[in-house]
Amino acid sequence: MPRHIKIGLIVFGIGGAIAMGFFVDIVGRVRSMVNERETEENPFKPPAQPLYAPTDPPMTVKIFFPAASGDSLLVAEDQTIFKSAEIANRARQILQKIQEGPGRDTMLAPLPKEAKVQDLFISEQGTAFIDFSDAMATAHPGGILNELTTIYSIVDSLTYNLPEIKQVKILIGGVEKETLAGHCLLLLPLEMDLSITNVIPHEEKTAQLK
Amino acid sequence: MRAARIGIPLAALGAALFIFGGLMHAADTSIPIYFPNSKLIVKAETFNRATYVPIKEIIEFMGVPYTDALALETLTLRSGNSRLLMTKNSALMSYNNQILLLPSPILREEGRWLAPIEFLTIGLTRLTGTEFRYRPGTPRIFADNVDSPELEMNAQTLGPITRLTLRCSVPLKLDLKRDNQRAILAIDRPALDPVRERLDHRDRMVRSIAFDDSDGDAKIILDLTRDVTDMRLTAADNNRVFFLDLLTKKEPVTEAAPPPVPTPAPAAKPDVIPAQRKVRVVVIDPGHGGMDTGAKSASMVEKDFTLVFARKLRTALQTRLGPTVLLTRDSDVALDNEARSAVANNNQANLFISLHAGYSANKLDDGSSVFVMKDNFGQAFTTAAAGGRDQLFLPWYLGYRIHHQASVSAANVLQEELSKAIPGSKFAVRTAPLAVLSSATMPSVLLEIGNFNNPVNAQTLADDGFQKTLADALVNAILRFSQSPQAAN
Ligand SMILES: [Zn+2]
Repeated sequence: MPRHIKIGLIVFGIGGAIAMGFFVDIVGRVRSMVNERETEENPFKPPAQPLYAPTDPPMTVKIFFPAASGDSLLVAEDQTIFKSAEIANRARQILQKIQEGPGRDTMLAPLPKEAKVQDLFISEQGTAFIDFSDAMATAHPGGILNELTTIYSIVDSLTYNLPEIKQVKILIGGVEKETLAGHCLLLLPLEMDLSITNVIPHEEKTAQLK
Repeated sequence: MRAARIGIPLAALGAALFIFGGLMHAADTSIPIYFPNSKLIVKAETFNRATYVPIKEIIEFMGVPYTDALALETLTLRSGNSRLLMTKNSALMSYNNQILLLPSPILREEGRWLAPIEFLTIGLTRLTGTEFRYRPGTPRIFADNVDSPELEMNAQTLGPITRLTLRCSVPLKLDLKRDNQRAILAIDRPALDPVRERLDHRDRMVRSIAFDDSDGDAKIILDLTRDVTDMRLTAADNNRVFFLDLLTKKEPVTEAAPPPVPTPAPAAKPDVIPAQRKVRVVVIDPGHGGMDTGAKSASMVEKDFTLVFARKLRTALQTRLGPTVLLTRDSDVALDNEARSAVANNNQANLFISLHAGYSANKLDDGSSVFVMKDNFGQAFTTAAAGGRDQLFLPWYLGYRIHHQASVSAANVLQEELSKAIPGSKFAVRTAPLAVLSSATMPSVLLEIGNFNNPVNAQTLADDGFQKTLADALVNAILRFSQSPQAAN
């Protein structure tokens, strides 16, 4: 075999091996991408990330629940969350507490049982956008005071405990709704209103909690 | 260059036709002349942009003797000893030897004497004493003190429906007919004076809405789109207000036949003289409707309760106080809250009351609330909040601010009267960011009655006698409010 053909064959072989390697790599990548997609769509996936780290210190928060009776529409109950680095994760923990409902029977559950938080996002201006599932509206029993306490248990619990959140905008089913159950306006973000609660505004205290 | 050579003369010709066309063109329109017990339809013609009416047809109808002198080309009208002489192609008339000047000359075309419309007031009134009234540019004439009530039309897109509202100072009888894309609302009353001939409202449901009485019969002609599958005509305020709702199949209207609307008795003995009343128009909003049922009790849904009670309140108000009372909905339709307050805003209401029934998770609760809009709500989201100057430019959701104080005092009066009428029941005045009140630009309150989750309470609310007591208490409150300095003028 002439020398130049031998060299040619070697070069061809090396080139083929490299090309083969690339091909295998690409197939592998595509496969892994497809797999990722599959796991993303898997409804039984475990919770993506914990809302707080084991090292995060505990933090006492006031969760506002509808009062079963009495003059105040909302009554605060002290509960403990963990001071996660991300404010959004603290907000998610507070929303979990609201969904779980009060520990005493002098207070009522603020949200319909079926309602879920689908998404939460805090803007640079301090507006917390919270997207609830449709059940938040469809399973709501109605009544203005009921609607008012549902909304303000969320707004007050978030704004009172997390000063970074200046106002709360509630979305339902991923879209803006005129009202929650026909009465209270949801088109504008809502600010803290402690006048319907048994808690007096306490700026210094919230500052300390920081 | 060649194109310009042809184009410029063509453009000039077009312009000339456009400018002089009006001078030459004589268009025919039918104009009704309404007399106290009769009407005459005449063909009016336009010459040199002036409206001309045929003289002989009018004077023959009125029985005015005349001499048509063909050779002299004059027309002489007589009444008693008076004489009115007109000459062909002259704007001058002689009335008992006194000269009268018309804005354009008398014409004689094919044996017809034609006079500019001003001839009626300048010449014929002087001769016969019969007064003539017409709005310039409108195709109808009213003669001799004929009663010509104004007709107001207003069209709105209210979420899924389109609503035509008609308002007249006298009761009307309407008849609705539909022929494909065209609906005709015949009005059983002659000599109506529409404020506007046509509405420039166009939407998904309607292309044009116009008043027409060219044949002497008053009617409203609606040019509809294919989307309109149903129409609903409701009367209010003793047949002085009508709502024509245009509905589309896509709108889920639960077809529970609305209970027959009792025609309210004519206001027998109003407690106050109408001229002194500050609350002339009250808009009542029956909460919820359509798909939105509101709260549910074992036997009732909120949307039905609010509608039944709103109708009772309307009757009670009209019988005792005699204001114009409008309902935002008089059937089972869904309306968004902005549309509800728009009914009050568009009808210049002096008071707006939204009616609801409560629902408390606590089955023992039986309290009621009178709500006003939460003060300072939405201020953070507007720069207009700073100065009073900007009140005209308030964003819609701040409309409530203009009459906030009056709303609070209306709520207090309501609370007092309700507590008096229904002792043992708690009525609290509260504030909330309520959608239906936020854009209402008049004193406005929302009354939420009872607790649908309390079985005893729900039964009481359904009781006819209780509803009557409640309506009477509200009428007392509205009467008191209308006499207070806080009531809007
Ligand atoms: Zn309601």
